Amino acid sequence: MNLPATPADLIPFLFAVITSHTFIQIILFPGFIHVTLVTAFLTWYERKIIARIQLRIGPLYAGGPGGILQPIADGVKLIFKEVMIPYKADKPLFLAIPLALVVMAALPFAVIPFGQNWVIANLDVGLVFVFAMISLFPLMILIFAWASNSKYPFLGGLRSLFQQVAYEIPMWISALSIVMLAGSLSLVDIVNAQARIWFIIPAFLSFIVFFISVMAELERLPFDLPTAEPELVAGWFTESSGAIFMLQFLALYMKMYLMSSLVTVLFLGGWWGPAFLPQPVWFIIKTLIVATFIIIPRAVFARIRVDMLIRIGWTRLLIVALVNVFLTVLLITSGLTAILGM
Amino acid sequence: MEIAIPPDLVFVILAAVTLIAAVLALQAKELIYGAIALGISFIGIAGFFVFLDAPYLAMLQIAVYVGAVVVLILFTIMLVRREQSDELLDRPEGGQGAVGLWLAGLLAVAIAGVAALAGPNLPAAPPAGNLPVSSLGLVLAAEYPIPLVILALLISAALLGALVLAKVEK
Repeated sequence: MNLPATPADLIPFLFAVITSHTFIQIILFPGFIHVTLVTAFLTWYERKIIARIQLRIGPLYAGGPGGILQPIADGVKLIFKEVMIPYKADKPLFLAIPLALVVMAALPFAVIPFGQNWVIANLDVGLVFVFAMISLFPLMILIFAWASNSKYPFLGGLRSLFQQVAYEIPMWISALSIVMLAGSLSLVDIVNAQARIWFIIPAFLSFIVFFISVMAELERLPFDLPTAEPELVAGWFTESSGAIFMLQFLALYMKMYLMSSLVTVLFLGGWWGPAFLPQPVWFIIKTLIVATFIIIPRAVFARIRVDMLIRIGWTRLLIVALVNVFLTVLLITSGLTAILGM
Repeated sequence: MEIAIPPDLVFVILAAVTLIAAVLALQAKELIYGAIALGISFIGIAGFFVFLDAPYLAMLQIAVYVGAVVVLILFTIMLVRREQSDELLDRPEGGQGAVGLWLAGLLAVAIAGVAALAGPNLPAAPPAGNLPVSSLGLVLAAEYPIPLVILALLISAALLGALVLAKVEK
């Protein structure tokens, strides 16, 4: 298909673009609308789960069963609130970074396979693409914290930087054993390699390391030092309000959905499941189960100290991840993977 | 569905983004903006890698240069106070700017001359195609094992050196 040559060609061209397979995949499923809807669902789901664990009821009045329309009410409220920009804040950066955060959180969904054919772009280097986008988050957060020109966001931004940069390393290394087992960096190939046996079984150690690193990357309890309420008010988003806060909130929960789906792809067999449900449904069910296990610790555990955080990251997780790489090499060279039918 | 976009247009846009961001990185009054412009320039270079059929290099360019190097630069800038950071800005004085422009112009003329003289006679590069990432590892491990080991040694030495420096501070 060529670009339109004359203005008369423009309307048919736009129509052809809108009805094309790629465009529908990008906009509807597995693209932006689906991601936004699941993200909104996750915010309600988290409040509900935590309320149940703490013997409360949680959102109730916003309509639908169990107040499931609460995210919409929250969104409307936040959009109509005034955006307060702090005095002496760096205005362009303060307004631009929340948008960039949403883009960074949404882009990796282009390579996440929700089914055999439900993937927008089957990149050869899909896994590295996801990691590259994730590695931009601490940068954005640090710039936003600086642009707020206030001390609590700045401290939170620095903590976020240390934490995310430190835990990226065990995360990459633990994903390395999956890449060795699958023999590919493409997420579709990685899921296809799990048709017989999910990688959580041969690579259980790396699943543990990856899951803990994911918790730290997402700044979820017990790793929520960058947004620790008793010490830093609300951490790096202390100064944000209204629509700015909504965008950051959206980006954070989108990242949670992204990380849960990454765990599903790498360890839980992606879309594979009994045939009575379509592939994307299996994928979303598995992802929501992973998200549940990411949410539950928030109601159960206390926050860990900074020195414990650093020690766990650099002296425990990193070493376990490195040992696990050698174990995986042993597993592959000893021929056990061939016996398991991978 | 494939939309045919002229490759020259992609090249011009990428080159413009990379070069303008690079100039901004040098000229920004606020150091933070300079660092951000540097990051955009790195992303433009990653775009060139994608354009040259090397997506793996492009992703690593983003992860390492934008995700780590720019973060380190920003972190260093933020450690110094604003009044100090103004002193760090080193504006060219007197004839320095003119000399720089002359040198850049000479270099541009030299490159254009070489391209005009030798360009038409050069054999066309073979298309890279869709090589798997593993071929990169095979080439590195099979054809350049010694540079690879020396690089690994260098990185370990740098890591150990950093540890020693951090220890001495205490």
